[in-house]
Amino acid sequence: MTKIAAAARKHAPIFLVAAFALLPLTGPAQAQKSGGSITVGQELEIAGFDPLKVGVYDTSTFTAAAAIFDTLTTLDEKGQAAPKLAVSWTHSDDYMTWTFKLREGVKFHDGTPFNAQAFKENFDRQKDPANKCRCAFYITNIKEVLAPDEYTLVYKLTDPSVNLPAVITIQSQNNVVHSPTAWKTKGDDYNRNPVGTGPYILKSWTAGDRMVLEKNPNYWDKGRPYLDRIILKPLPDAQSRFASLQSGEADIIWDDENDADNIMKAQKDSKLTVHTYKGSGAAVYAFNTKVAPFDDVRVRQALVMAIDRPKMSQAITNGLSRPASNPYGDGSWVKCKDDGALPFDVEKAKALIKDYGKPVEFKMLVTATPRGRMVGQVLQQFWKRVGANMEIEQVDQATIPSRAFTRQFQMTPWRIVDLADPDPQMYANFRSGSPLALAGYSNPELDKLLDHARVTADLGQRSEDYCAISRLINKEAIWFWTFQNTYYALSSAKLKGFPKMYNGVIDVSRTWLE
Amino acid sequence: MLNFVVRRLLAMLPVLLAVSLLTFLIASLLPGDLALVILGDQATPENVAALRRDMGLDQPLWWRYLSWLGQVLQGDLGRSFRTGQTVLQAVAERIPVSLQLMLMAEFIGLLIGVPVAIACAARAGGAFDRFMTGSAFAMLSMPSFLVAILLIYLFAVELHWLPATGYVPFTEAPLGNLRFFVLPALTLALAEWPGIMRVLRSDMIATLQEDYIALAKAKGLKPARILFVHALKPSSLTLVTVTGINIGRLLGGTLIVESIFALPGIGRLLVGAIYTRDLVILQGVVLLVACGFVIVNFIVDMLYAVLDPRIRHGHA
Repeated sequence: MTKIAAAARKHAPIFLVAAFALLPLTGPAQAQKSGGSITVGQELEIAGFDPLKVGVYDTSTFTAAAAIFDTLTTLDEKGQAAPKLAVSWTHSDDYMTWTFKLREGVKFHDGTPFNAQAFKENFDRQKDPANKCRCAFYITNIKEVLAPDEYTLVYKLTDPSVNLPAVITIQSQNNVVHSPTAWKTKGDDYNRNPVGTGPYILKSWTAGDRMVLEKNPNYWDKGRPYLDRIILKPLPDAQSRFASLQSGEADIIWDDENDADNIMKAQKDSKLTVHTYKGSGAAVYAFNTKVAPFDDVRVRQALVMAIDRPKMSQAITNGLSRPASNPYGDGSWVKCKDDGALPFDVEKAKALIKDYGKPVEFKMLVTATPRGRMVGQVLQQFWKRVGANMEIEQVDQATIPSRAFTRQFQMTPWRIVDLADPDPQMYANFRSGSPLALAGYSNPELDKLLDHARVTADLGQRSEDYCAISRLINKEAIWFWTFQNTYYALSSAKLKGFPKMYNGVIDVSRTWLE
Repeated sequence: MLNFVVRRLLAMLPVLLAVSLLTFLIASLLPGDLALVILGDQATPENVAALRRDMGLDQPLWWRYLSWLGQVLQGDLGRSFRTGQTVLQAVAERIPVSLQLMLMAEFIGLLIGVPVAIACAARAGGAFDRFMTGSAFAMLSMPSFLVAILLIYLFAVELHWLPATGYVPFTEAPLGNLRFFVLPALTLALAEWPGIMRVLRSDMIATLQEDYIALAKAKGLKPARILFVHALKPSSLTLVTVTGINIGRLLGGTLIVESIFALPGIGRLLVGAIYTRDLVILQGVVLLVACGFVIVNFIVDMLYAVLDPRIRHGHA
């Protein structure tokens, strides 16, 4: 096969996917209505949008960012990369260089033209060590971004990435595109006066109360958006947030499994819709295999085998949490016939501990939240049953990453978030020598599989690799998984067009009211 | 009187100084490193060390306190590292909401507590008195988050009379604004009136046994006139103190109530600052609130002196 033919074959799926992605936007089957206004009840207050100031966006900020800004690419309903500010893309054979063709004629809300130079300035600003941005960590795999002409953008990577266009779809601090003119002229005030190219423009923002977004009349995607106005409100208390939805002050609210009673109530209410998305990734825990007693595989296996996940789900979330046996989850394209999960087996666990011969005593980090404490207590009971004594060490959320990175733990909670591709997280979490390889475990076979999976284009083959990786990790029990990521939003039944909640983002920028 | 005012003002100074020291220590002694919080998960030890130097965190505690106090005295309480807002800006945006909430709560509390106290005192030991004293105990033992949720379910979800959450500024829609405040203020007031009622009731019972009341009765004055004109004012001294202290206590209540009802007040600002470890905002808000409390106490003292001249002359 010639090089060109090979390239065409390689890229064909991308263009096909792109064509499909546009279908729901133009299809006549769904009668989108224009006009009206909705109120979104969020969990947290938004601190701002300037990556240099806020560092990392939280889930509430994602929702606002999805309306105010655009990203280069987006995920379609099948979880594949589709065009947004970029209309097409190609890659080098080694997947170290990706070239994006940008959409022409797009303008930021302040009139600044969107082009390759504007994007490059966004990237350089985050990457510049002088700016000391927390956001820089998440783009360490990108060596540089080049703008060879006005509508061409080139990503130069430090490591291969076969699925980059899908990975950069989340409305995160690194991916949304800001107007360079705006941050230069507004300085410190830019953080709370963001300017993007998105379907909505920030109209007003009352601290602690509401953020009002108005329709962008010049949005590049003609006919969109449908709603005239979106109001975002922080409603921190789960009970009153749900009451606001019931009484009609909010049209859609953020929710999670820990609020299981209200989710179940909403499922029975014909005036409400429960939106749920079974994402990829899971709530996970890492053993520090460099310290006793976890330097012995028998102890690690025993603890994993002692966990009764269905019972734990019942205790914590009324049975809503879905047990996980691998780090990918049902939402991932990685499908394993055999992921090597260790069975729940109390007797075997007891025998392994007995075989180890020494008392098993350790400390586990948990977040100082009711949620974290509860998870810790449930695990403590399971482990006590097989003869292991765990002491709960409660620390605040911000302390966990720093303790984890400096390896000051025996066992720590972690999370594999819902990304379109397992590579970035799996490679960082398990490749020898990675600062994020928390278990301190090194295995040439594991490294080989991780390296192979990241440069292979064939999804079937990659899926095989990742299943082999799961089998290896499960067998060695260096990490374990409790529950898959599931995301929830509850809305009035009148709200239509709500897309899949990738990474838990409530993206209301394409919704309308019936 | 002027002498008294000056004396009280001078007495406030050491209190304020102690308040500032405690506030500073709270933020400094909290576990966690401010530099680490700012730089986040991926901070390298060199970055943290550099930022600590920049921020003066490597200096001794007393030096940091003095330089912080110096800045505070010049009106600079610092800037949130998350939002870029100054503490004063953030507080100025939020304080009207909390003040309105506290005043409305106190007002509703008095509105319930004072008439009930008078009615109870008028027939002390009677059926109404016994019932209300019992109810007051019951109300006192109800946590405010529970009261708030019950009120929301009754008035917002079931009856649709009042909104469950939200806020509009008074200047934008006066009536709408009041609607948003009714449930949160009522939640706080329901915890307030028992205290008000019990204090005023016992003081009034004592007053009603004084000789001059007996004289008034003998002169044939109407019972209502005796209660409201002759007995209420001298019985309300303790009530004034309690009301003053309540305002400080109410600030604590706003932490919960503002979060539940999503009111953008000081309570919410403080809770948010704790969650996000925004120590600059935390320190600044606690300092301002503590100062506010000291000032309210000062005002109460002044009122006290107006109500009872014996106090300003130092006889009581």
